[in-house]
Amino acid sequence: MKPFILYKNKKGFDLYTDFSKKIILNNKNISKFLNKKFKFKKKFKNTDLLIGFFGYEILNNLIGVKLPKQKSINFSKGIFYKPETKISLKENLFYQSSIINKVNKKFKININQNLYTKIFNKFKKKIRSGETYQIKICTKYKNKSKIDPLDFFCRLSKTNLAPEAFMIKDKDFSIISCSPENLITKNGLSISTKPIAGTLRKTKKINKIKALNFFKNNIKETKEHNMIVDMERNDLSRICKPGSVKLKKEKTVEEYKDLYHYVSLITGKLKKNIKNMDIIKAMMPGGSVIGCPKISTLNLLNHQEKENRNIYTGSFGFIKFNGDMRFNIIIRSILNYKNISEISVASGVVIDSNAKHEFNENFIKAKALIDLYK
Amino acid sequence: MIYVIDHKDSFTHNVVHQLSLFDKVECDDFSKINNSKLNMASTIVFSPGPGSPKDYPLSSKIYKNFKGKKKIIGICLGFQQILFSEGASIIEQNKIYHGFQSEVLVNKSSKLFYEGQKFKVGRYHSLKLKEPFKAENFDITMRCVISGVAMSFENNIDKIYGVQFHPESFLTVNGKLLIKKILSA
Repeated sequence: MKPFILYKNKKGFDLYTDFSKKIILNNKNISKFLNKKFKFKKKFKNTDLLIGFFGYEILNNLIGVKLPKQKSINFSKGIFYKPETKISLKENLFYQSSIINKVNKKFKININQNLYTKIFNKFKKKIRSGETYQIKICTKYKNKSKIDPLDFFCRLSKTNLAPEAFMIKDKDFSIISCSPENLITKNGLSISTKPIAGTLRKTKKINKIKALNFFKNNIKETKEHNMIVDMERNDLSRICKPGSVKLKKEKTVEEYKDLYHYVSLITGKLKKNIKNMDIIKAMMPGGSVIGCPKISTLNLLNHQEKENRNIYTGSFGFIKFNGDMRFNIIIRSILNYKNISEISVASGVVIDSNAKHEFNENFIKAKALIDLYK
Repeated sequence: MIYVIDHKDSFTHNVVHQLSLFDKVECDDFSKINNSKLNMASTIVFSPGPGSPKDYPLSSKIYKNFKGKKKIIGICLGFQQILFSEGASIIEQNKIYHGFQSEVLVNKSSKLFYEGQKFKVGRYHSLKLKEPFKAENFDITMRCVISGVAMSFENNIDKIYGVQFHPESFLTVNGKLLIKKILSA
């Protein structure tokens, strides 16, 4: 099977393939990549774009945050592809795998509950002293498995159809994600971001209105969400015209198959002469999966986390040759590399969160993906 | 021109965005201060930021150099930075407000706002001013309705103002008006 990418659109999925170029990003070539001006003929083709991902590390480096030495599997820091073919597919993906998945049901977690609680309490002290207001601890689940990623992605899309879902299948790796979170939508000078902070499991008793009441009455969830809204307004304000940054939708509930999300929508109009580089640096890595304020929280996180986050909390999406772009935040994802599957999840520490609850929350987030291995 | 000194916060550009509605604004990282901009500015703003005032000796130095010569405004950490430079202790508080909307009440010391006026404001602070606090010409002018914690000060002689809350937050109702009053004082 030749390399391809699937990306959720409003109606179904877009399939991108026949890649004529593959750009592997590093700290040296990323500026050139982001500052590049693309030529395109008057008749703009739907394949006049570069599609791929930025890993977490390269996004840190881009804003001047250095990572200490971490355990690493030496996976690419970012890859973009130039497709020559784009095909629209329906939402119901049907695929019968001819490959037998050699899966391992058991996962190893890199931080157990004891260690998690220790880190958690350390960060709580940092919140007390004002070094951070909210911080997300990442835990990783790993196992050795040989999987057919398309089979996994189709099954995942049946149970967790998410608006920013995507998969990449390349020769030596694959990524599967049911990300719900859009970080950048840019059309012309209009730009928007749609942060999620707050997740509620769906049950028969909870409808959308009850979910909204739950979030509204939950002070902890509300405070966490407020913080992210102000942070995203800030990030857009760096690149938008004064007075143009607006909170378009304030704290609304979006319904998914298994859960409700607490979501806001923030929009703005870009200043003139803003380059792709300025946009990426202002918005990435996405604040809702890091904590706040961004720089000091990243430094605290990076010195605590012993393993490289790889793709997790990086961004996947595309940049069109006319400058329009769409990027998500890579969460709820599986990275398969060298026959090892890696699932990362994170949950937030704020002053009134509870270690046991957040540790379990992490497991719930990972479970939908872990279940695919059964 | 307003010169905003950024303490690497994720809210500074909301401040810049808001101030830009009233004047030309320049903003630099606290560790990369541009002296000609600093000298040109009519107003200096100390931004919010992580940590505590003792982490930013450069900002305290700037404050002391320009006190009485230019209008100076402090927001959140900036509020604490000014008070710290005036000899105050900045301490941890028992109950922490991050992303929280509170009501604040104006007292009779205020020259900019009416006594008894209430505002709904957004808060993001771990630390607070230790009281009693006394410095010449400085008055605490707003307090949290529930906890009584100091939420703003005015020094109308030297034109120095500070707010512990975030006028630029979407949680602050009429934040634009609050900032406008301070800018035109």
